[in-house]
Amino acid sequence: MSDETTPSVAETYRRAGYEIPEHLGSAHDRHWPALGGPGDWLDGETRRRIIIETRNARNCELCRRRSEAVSPNAVPGNHDATTDLDPAMVDAVHRVSVDAKRLSRTFAEAAMAEMGPGPYVEMVGVVACTWLMDVFAWALGVDEPGVPERRPGEPVGEIPEGTGDVGAWVPQELEKVRANVTRALSYAPLTNGSWRGLVNEHYSRGEQFGHLVWDRALSRPQVELVAARTAALNECFY
Amino acid sequence: MALLRASSQAVGIDVGLSGAVSGDGAAGIENSVELLRFAEAVQQRSTDLDDRREALRAAVGDLGLIEAAATVSGFNGLVRVADGTGIQIDEGVDAYTADVRGDLGIDRYSGAANTPDRGLEHYEITTVKELF
Repeated sequence: MSDETTPSVAETYRRAGYEIPEHLGSAHDRHWPALGGPGDWLDGETRRRIIIETRNARNCELCRRRSEAVSPNAVPGNHDATTDLDPAMVDAVHRVSVDAKRLSRTFAEAAMAEMGPGPYVEMVGVVACTWLMDVFAWALGVDEPGVPERRPGEPVGEIPEGTGDVGAWVPQELEKVRANVTRALSYAPLTNGSWRGLVNEHYSRGEQFGHLVWDRALSRPQVELVAARTAALNECFY
Repeated sequence: MALLRASSQAVGIDVGLSGAVSGDGAAGIENSVELLRFAEAVQQRSTDLDDRREALRAAVGDLGLIEAAATVSGFNGLVRVADGTGIQIDEGVDAYTADVRGDLGIDRYSGAANTPDRGLEHYEITTVKELF
């Protein structure tokens, strides 16, 4: 769905001197615009605003002061928001965006009490997709992609079958088929599909994930070195 | 970290996990210095990112650079999914990394509180499936 004013991802990167592999470019072209449309629990405009606030959080003065405090809860104030999202949603988006390492069950349960577990899970997914897309652009010295255009429609609004408490903060698929992280967003299946569609092409590549030796541009130890260092810089236990 | 360890062992590399996680270096992994410096520069959006990018491109080529960028960015999403939803680490990963997480400082991350102490002991693995 590209035209002259909205080049494909592959074309954007080609103009910057990169030949992005087809599987990667097509995943971006498919899943990023979908975030401008309705999801499982949120409409397209709300998802677009979550993307905007995900980016606002990086320069938010309250987020900066909280990041320097022993506890983020010790610093009151208002976020530098530019959307009219509900304040509880703005706070959750900013926290997940720039201080995820210090989130807690108490925080998540309070947020879900305000907005419901479905919107919370979907929000986390949209924030994650935005970071994936933006960091990829930074890494290659290319501008971040524009906020997806709004697509009309209503969210599905149905609790997915087979979901419940598996010990995480949010409800998830009860059946464990793969790594826990692959079902983390399963309470929002459409958003989970976008997230997994992107991260699969960025990293795991389907069946390849199950092999300890890869025949790719980087060896598996090289990829996992980058992954481990990135996780450590984010102080992520998982 | 679990998959760094397992994939390195699979090709006969005794990777130093401490240096890999801290960024000091990863003996045995080709171009590890360029990969680590690039990942750090991207993560921190530091002023030397352009230099780090070109150094990595010179070492691993365009496709290698793109793959490294895809990995850093993918994991910037993944850490927010994991930390935003409070998932537990999988039992296989729990056991496989039980002998090193403390020394690496990973058990001190706040997200460690999401996984109960299962009392698992380290065992070696030969397949990814054993981790998940």
